[in-house]
Amino acid sequence: MEALLTAPASDYSPEMVALNKPEITDEADWIARAQRSDARAFESLYRMHVDKVYGLCLRMTGNVAEAEDCTQDAFIQAWNKLDRFRGDSAFATWLHRIAVNAVLGRMRKSKRETERIQVATEMPSSPLSAADTGELRDLSDAVDRLPQGARHVFVLYAVYGYSHDEAGKMLGIAPGTSKAQLHRARRLLAQQLENEGFEA
Amino acid sequence: MNDIERDDRLVAAAGGLSTEISPARDLWPEIAEAIARPQRSRWTPMLAQAAAVVLLIGASSGITYLAVKEDPQLVPVVMQDLRFEQAAFGAEHTFGSVYRSAQGDYRVQLEQQLERLPPETRTEVERNLTLIREAIAEINVALKENPDNVLLQDLLVKSYREQHALMRRVGELAQHVMARKDI
Repeated sequence: MEALLTAPASDYSPEMVALNKPEITDEADWIARAQRSDARAFESLYRMHVDKVYGLCLRMTGNVAEAEDCTQDAFIQAWNKLDRFRGDSAFATWLHRIAVNAVLGRMRKSKRETERIQVATEMPSSPLSAADTGELRDLSDAVDRLPQGARHVFVLYAVYGYSHDEAGKMLGIAPGTSKAQLHRARRLLAQQLENEGFEA
Repeated sequence: MNDIERDDRLVAAAGGLSTEISPARDLWPEIAEAIARPQRSRWTPMLAQAAAVVLLIGASSGITYLAVKEDPQLVPVVMQDLRFEQAAFGAEHTFGSVYRSAQGDYRVQLEQQLERLPPETRTEVERNLTLIREAIAEINVALKENPDNVLLQDLLVKSYREQHALMRRVGELAQHVMARKDI
């Protein structure tokens, strides 16, 4: 770990990160140290959780550049709000909420979402395909083509297992709206996948 | 397979999608750079102005109370109002139905109650309410630009709370004036 923390950015390699990924038992200690402004402890937290945060951002945005920006935004916000983390929920859940806010904040500010949908429909497959295998790739691509509201609810509910209450709170919508968006997402996905011969 | 079964299987299949995905590049260096920088001051001119207005409102409300108090027992205690705990921010800032309903009631009664107050007090209360409304409008404009700004959200809640407390105080003062006339 020490080697990773002191290594310059140019020495970074995914293998190195994998080898140096901190143990989950260290998390509470890293949090306490990071809350005392220890940036190296916060880097350990970043290494521990970046795949979860990036995965969520990528599923919600369907765009690598946006997902990278959102991931960075989420961790910067997490650093700034770290003193407010009291451990009422798991750190990963707390980070997820921040990441969802980062995605929503970026999408509000940006019109790239509209452009993204246009581009996505022209592309044979999304960057998410590489993360999934077999028929799940078709499903992943289909999810990526959903309209924003339906996609966000479907990702939080069906992929990450949040309840409608939880998803609604994260997205700033009522649970009933979340249910309606899920229903819409299912119908749209079924239509898309039916054409592609997907068997759930 | 009917539609419901198909939809359920779709959701179940989605549970198998990867939830952890590694970014293609290391995102840490830019994060490290950002968190190493001193945090940018949130005290924009507009925000500072809004904060000043809120402080002024607090002071002014105090003056109103001092100007009109005739009996210390009448001092209405401004308590933490649970209605405000229902406030929600994010894409939209909204207040719960209980708050909106109470605010509506106060608004309807306000005009009648103001008439029962001494002219000086009425002028002072109206001036305070105008200040609060201006502050709320200003903070809302700032929130549109920066909807996730926690400081702005806090200021907005404080302003609404101040407005709410002042409207309630007006009601209580007016009732007291009526009661004293009756005596």
